[in-house]
Amino acid sequence: MDRINFIKTAGTLSVGLVWLSACRKLSIPPENIVQDPDVFSTSEGIQAYMARLYSELPIEDFRYSPARGLNFFWIISPTPAITGEALSRDQTSAMQENFGGWNWKIWSGCYTVIRDCNYFMETLPTYAKNFSDTQVTGWLGEAYFVRAMTYLALVKRFGGVPIVNKVLSYSAQTIDQLKIPRSSEKAVWDQVGSDFDFAIKNLPAENADANDGTRANKYVAAAFKSRAMLYAGSIAKYNKATLFDGQKNQLCGIAASEANTYFKAGYDAAKMLDGVYSLYVTSWSATDKNAQYQNFVNLFSDAASKENVFVREYEYPNSVHGYDAYNVPRQLIGPNGYSAEVNPTLDFVEMFDGIPKNADGTLQNLDAAGHYILYDNTMDLFANAEPRLRATVIFPGDEFKGQHIEIRRGIYTGPVTGGINRLLPPGSKSQYPLANLVVSATAAQTPYKLPDGSLMNPAGLSGVFTGDQTCAISGFSVRKWLDPNLPVSQTKENNETQTWIEMRYAEVLLNRAEAAFELYSAGQGGADYLQDAFDHINQIRSRAGQALVPSPASMTIDTIRTERRKELAFENKTWWDLRRWRIIDKEQNGTIYRILMPFYAAKAGKYFFDARTDERNHVYTFDPRWYYEQIPQDTIAKNTNIIQNPGF
Amino acid sequence: MRKPVYYTALGALFLLSASCSRNIDNYAAPSAALQGSVFDVGTDSTVQTEIGGGGTRVKLLETSYDSTPTPQYFQSMQDGTFHSDKLFAATYNVSVEGPFVPLVLTDSSGTVLSDSSKTVTLKSTATVNFWVQPYLRVQWVGKPLVNADSTVTVQVIITRGTDNPGYQGNLTNINLYVSNTRYAGNNNYDPRYSKLTSYSGTDGNSLLGQTISLTTTGGGLPPQDVYFRVGARIAAGLNQYNYNQPMRIGP
Repeated sequence: MDRINFIKTAGTLSVGLVWLSACRKLSIPPENIVQDPDVFSTSEGIQAYMARLYSELPIEDFRYSPARGLNFFWIISPTPAITGEALSRDQTSAMQENFGGWNWKIWSGCYTVIRDCNYFMETLPTYAKNFSDTQVTGWLGEAYFVRAMTYLALVKRFGGVPIVNKVLSYSAQTIDQLKIPRSSEKAVWDQVGSDFDFAIKNLPAENADANDGTRANKYVAAAFKSRAMLYAGSIAKYNKATLFDGQKNQLCGIAASEANTYFKAGYDAAKMLDGVYSLYVTSWSATDKNAQYQNFVNLFSDAASKENVFVREYEYPNSVHGYDAYNVPRQLIGPNGYSAEVNPTLDFVEMFDGIPKNADGTLQNLDAAGHYILYDNTMDLFANAEPRLRATVIFPGDEFKGQHIEIRRGIYTGPVTGGINRLLPPGSKSQYPLANLVVSATAAQTPYKLPDGSLMNPAGLSGVFTGDQTCAISGFSVRKWLDPNLPVSQTKENNETQTWIEMRYAEVLLNRAEAAFELYSAGQGGADYLQDAFDHINQIRSRAGQALVPSPASMTIDTIRTERRKELAFENKTWWDLRRWRIIDKEQNGTIYRILMPFYAAKAGKYFFDARTDERNHVYTFDPRWYYEQIPQDTIAKNTNIIQNPGF
Repeated sequence: MRKPVYYTALGALFLLSASCSRNIDNYAAPSAALQGSVFDVGTDSTVQTEIGGGGTRVKLLETSYDSTPTPQYFQSMQDGTFHSDKLFAATYNVSVEGPFVPLVLTDSSGTVLSDSSKTVTLKSTATVNFWVQPYLRVQWVGKPLVNADSTVTVQVIITRGTDNPGYQGNLTNINLYVSNTRYAGNNNYDPRYSKLTSYSGTDGNSLLGQTISLTTTGGGLPPQDVYFRVGARIAAGLNQYNYNQPMRIGP
């Protein structure tokens, strides 16, 4: 063979080789993308899938705010500042939720989760031979649980939404087939109910992969079902707005006749948890108010608590929040700033017992002659306050992290003989007259010389400063959820890992009591609903250290609602309760929330308190349109079959 | 060294020429105009409302191409008149939504009982007027009276504007709004001086038809132009307010 021929032959052969190998090897799935068999063949793969489902679960946790949505780190317009529970310097009015922009869009985000659930439900059975039957049913139950939670997140905001229970595929379906219209609101609530039912039926009593409350079991699903069905019953009973599509599907609102069916479903679901979970009473004592206070504080940090039904855990540095950084009192401010974003209103504090009150239920700060009542210490006013309140709110002068939290609006230098008159006439929304007051604009204070020669800062270490709202602008600071052991140097954003308790047994009891009372009010038979509501409200009250409800007959629906608002305050639940009861438009109707300002009377050497409306005059007016939130415009642009909610 | 500069300039020229050499999608802006008023069928005066999302708005369904179009809206002005001159010439179904008995009435199962919306073929300009039954009529009695302490007392009469029993809910709010602009309303008022009153149950109904005196709160008003307006509402629809015309007093 000569040289040329050799090259020709070799060339032809090698071309042929390349050709042949190309035919076989290029049709494999891309190896840099995770394939179904990689995920669905091992329990580790399933765990990874579950990690995604649970991290996407739309719950209003430490990383939620109405202004910036879910799963976002920056919580400076916190939820309690739109419910009337608290004031925040960054929240100046009532608002509807903001559904886009910052991070996780609630509409498209929820449908991503629903798709992930559907994909899991459709794919896992094909790989079932790799696992035991118990594993497969359990995991399917979890996927149904997550889907139910996600539909719940949609329906409580928008009313009826499209029900998508199959994985949609663009190439297999036309655009017109993918434009799925909204279902009726009732159909979506029923979807939530049936998904939870599937989960309850298929989930084991203890989650085999993790039974620390981070993943669902049978009872977790039942607890959330009680929340969802109570919500649906409330909509049927209290909602007034309606919207129909061309086929007469009721997209907003449920017929009032359905209310009792939902209340009964909620009641039955709550009852399933009987004897499985219990209220946290580890350091509680029936006779010791201090133990009751400490017990309620510990409830939010004790991982062994049998009250925790469903929780979300955080871990540094993968998944973190900054609750303490945003919410510690000003004098414990962390190295990166913030602090004092949640300042409980006087309206909130007045819901509790154990503080002196006037006949109309407002806090009593004046004597019979109309002069301020004087106290040696600011804590004297709260000496007998309900232990649960003290565990929820930091009072002026109370102790936290070994410090006395000093909250003082200013020093009153005027005359004190014969009593101190009100600084402002009743109902006045004006600024305090400065004639007899020494105040401080910022935390950099000039001490004032008291009559006895000693020096005192005009304002407390945690405020109130007149030119810097990074302080206790309401006269109180939030206590709930704060970690008492977190050093000041570690009080930073994106640095904290307390567990968020999304569902605790106390809520299940409150769901049960409320559903029972609604059934009783509607004259439903089958159980002694009134007695049931009475017993469970008193369990909550007893643990809280509050006087018990004297008799079943003395209860009203407001007894139960107030109890719920007190127990679940600052847990991002009250917002949804005020909405489903359809009362927030009455509570926030040109409303300016009230605050309690402590002053030091220099010539008397004593403190007094002035109750007034928010000095900033921020008005809260809830627009009734917001009961059904505006569907994002880009959703309607993509799916023209979606009908917008009324008024938008 | 200069070559890259020339190439860049040449490239830029090329891009520029491409971007301005075609007029294919450069249509004229929409320029047809629709105007009109929302009249009170009982008094023939326009139905006062508030500016912004909490007041009367016009709903347009462009039916030229699609029988179930996505609705378009624009807001009415405070005095109950509306005007938009940025509309495409087309056929529209026009209706208004606000603090009055809806033009399209449905029963509790979604069946349409009556439909008073109007269809217009809009070429360049068109006027569409609606006569509606407001939930409430708020009317001034006399002029605002400045008291000795510089507070101000006004008097109004509030009556129902409809006989339809479905829209005769309990009177829930009567508010005297004080503002330093004439755009006073539930979304814009001075909280220091405005007098807001809520009524629960049937408590407020006895005030209907009576002359009601309302006085500003929070001490004397500052010596400057001040506008007064009274709003009242029942729980119906989106719980919007009915208003009287703003009235000014000055120093």
